[in-house]
Amino acid sequence: MSDEKKEIRDDLLKNSKKVADAKPGQQTKSTNDLESLLDDFDDDPLNATGVSRKSLVIFFLIDTSGSMKGTKMGELNTVMEELIPEIRKIGEADTEVKIAVLTFSDQVMWMYSEPIAIEEFEWARLSAAGVTSMGAAFEELSVRMSRNSFLNSPSLSFAPVMFLMTDGYPSDDYQKGLEALNKNSWYKFGLKAALGIGKEANDEMLAEFTGSADTVVHAYSGGQLAQFIKIIAVTSSQIGSKSMTLSDDTTHELSPEDVAKSKQKLLGQQIQETVKSEGYKDTVPFDTGW
Amino acid sequence: MVELGIGQYVEMEYGGAARIIQIIGSGGQGIVYLAEFNDARYALKWYDVDKISNPKAFRKNIENNIKDGAPSNKFLWPKYLTKELDNGCFGYLMDLRPQGYDSFVDILNTYKLEIEQMSGRATKQSVQFKSLFAMVTAVINIVNTFRQLHRAGKSYQDLNDGGFFINVENGDILVCDCDNIAPDGCNFGIAGKPGYMAPEVVRGISKPNVQTDKYSLAVVLFKLLFRGDPVEGEKVVKDICLTETSELKHYGQQAIFVYDPKNDSNRPVRGIHDNVIKFWKIYPDYIKDAFTFTFTTGITEPNKRIIENEWQKLFIRLRSEIIKCHCGRTNFASMFLLTEEGHYKCPKCGAEYSELQLSNRDYGIPLYIGCKFYACDTEKASDDFQTVTGELIENKLKPGVLGIKNMSDKIWKVKMPDGNFYNVASGKGFPLWKDVEIDFGGITAKLK
Repeated sequence: MSDEKKEIRDDLLKNSKKVADAKPGQQTKSTNDLESLLDDFDDDPLNATGVSRKSLVIFFLIDTSGSMKGTKMGELNTVMEELIPEIRKIGEADTEVKIAVLTFSDQVMWMYSEPIAIEEFEWARLSAAGVTSMGAAFEELSVRMSRNSFLNSPSLSFAPVMFLMTDGYPSDDYQKGLEALNKNSWYKFGLKAALGIGKEANDEMLAEFTGSADTVVHAYSGGQLAQFIKIIAVTSSQIGSKSMTLSDDTTHELSPEDVAKSKQKLLGQQIQETVKSEGYKDTVPFDTGW
Repeated sequence: MVELGIGQYVEMEYGGAARIIQIIGSGGQGIVYLAEFNDARYALKWYDVDKISNPKAFRKNIENNIKDGAPSNKFLWPKYLTKELDNGCFGYLMDLRPQGYDSFVDILNTYKLEIEQMSGRATKQSVQFKSLFAMVTAVINIVNTFRQLHRAGKSYQDLNDGGFFINVENGDILVCDCDNIAPDGCNFGIAGKPGYMAPEVVRGISKPNVQTDKYSLAVVLFKLLFRGDPVEGEKVVKDICLTETSELKHYGQQAIFVYDPKNDSNRPVRGIHDNVIKFWKIYPDYIKDAFTFTFTTGITEPNKRIIENEWQKLFIRLRSEIIKCHCGRTNFASMFLLTEEGHYKCPKCGAEYSELQLSNRDYGIPLYIGCKFYACDTEKASDDFQTVTGELIENKLKPGVLGIKNMSDKIWKVKMPDGNFYNVASGKGFPLWKDVEIDFGGITAKLK
């Protein structure tokens, strides 16, 4: 480099400027501040993790007792496999949807040891045998629906969605299980829906779980089973992953209980509407032709 | 709602019919289809009129918007209305979103899901800005786009993360969901999305308007830069379960900015809001001050919210303060050391950079090989942040000699090392030296 060029370059690099000239709003970090900050600090402005999202856990409570054996279980497995990608598409991208599946027969069992993010969830096909320990399932659900257990997402959570599917009457004391649930505030604020399968299932009993008759749907045939599972799961996850608009422009305060109730009511209305508009596509009853 | 079938024809208001090809997606107000009309492909938004409080007025508003035309080419604006069916259903055609744009939500999540058609299996694909320059350009584009809309006397009303698409390579943006846009003061029922709505909208004491748009815009900008929510901190995450009443409280009645200088009850929480904690250390004070003002004073006083023009100036400054060090480190000037001579020094490799002081700026522009100047820098009364008018380059014949090339169509007057002023025409350049003086035509510059 010739002297002339070097001079120009040096001039460019070393051209004097006084720190005291710095204008208001100019960077204010002192050299020491920045140096200590840069020790052990990732300063890449592009390197970010995902924005913390609200989470929603959808609980499926599935009857795997002996009476479910055969085409009912087969169909349920297939529908659930199909359902997962559908929920994936619906789930608001700013809500982290997780799935937990609890099965009950002689024993109560979780499909996975914790709720799994919808993107990673894979349906493990279920098989049926034994009696209907629904009460025990309610108690287990109540234990797991806790900040210290399944609902341990560090950021904000929506109230969970609980979807119960059964084809029979509980063989144990379900009232005791419901009592436990009623003490759980996640249950209180959560969205509940149930599907009765075949003529043995008792809609009144299911309404005790959901808290309202219109969030209980009854499938009498195979085609209906598939349809209704999808309708209920999709509608409840849509409503569960969104907030309703509230305002303080009302004459009376809305309590969280009121809001939970109005969401549950909305779920009931939408389920009933969709079920009606879809009509009955299959007329062969579940309990015949086995 | 009446859904449309594949292959069905929908009659258009002014003749002809659009043929439905497939569903693209569904939203709160209806379904979007891919449709063919006059041998071209469009997106058809088809409304669930039951979900619209006054469909007649809503349709009339879209008709007016079509007549007025888009405020700029950044909007996927309604183009043609369909006829109204007997049951009141209707829709409109708009252009399809071009390739190469990612949704704002995916950018915030840093990934998108690619779903395999056959198996339904989902794989994550990274979505990230390709450069700091592209990110800040996207921010400027967003601000400018809403400035154009507000200048046209309209408000967007439902500004949220679902309404934008961004090209992560160059920062270009597209605004979709333009159907709730209405003259300022009019509202056809939309309130907005929780987390983005202005506190007075959350509380139901105001309908969306230009002032509430400004709040939502600030939320969008904060989320894009700081990758977190401006009012979700310790106070909010203590309410573990997000019920509507807690939302009304934390986003409406008692919204507290996470870095409110007078109230530390809602600071970001380590482990949840790590992004915000990190980026708050990186951005320069003038950016943080603007957000702090908007989310403190601006929460209760809508008229004091930062206007788009101010945001635009701040972000143009931020973009001009990106330093691309030759060691590979790219960062804002605020993350470079300041030497006693007043140069920016790279803390990684020690390289120093001086600044160009323009007469129309109260801050200097750091100089490095490849840095560009825009019409808004070098031309009087211009706010054009896209047209490049100059670039700092190394002389091809004299390695080591740095200078600025005139890429504008103007003739610049420059004081050369011999002490005389020379004309520098378009396509020519001049060396940067100690006492260089540049007259861009009304705007002058010197080395700082």
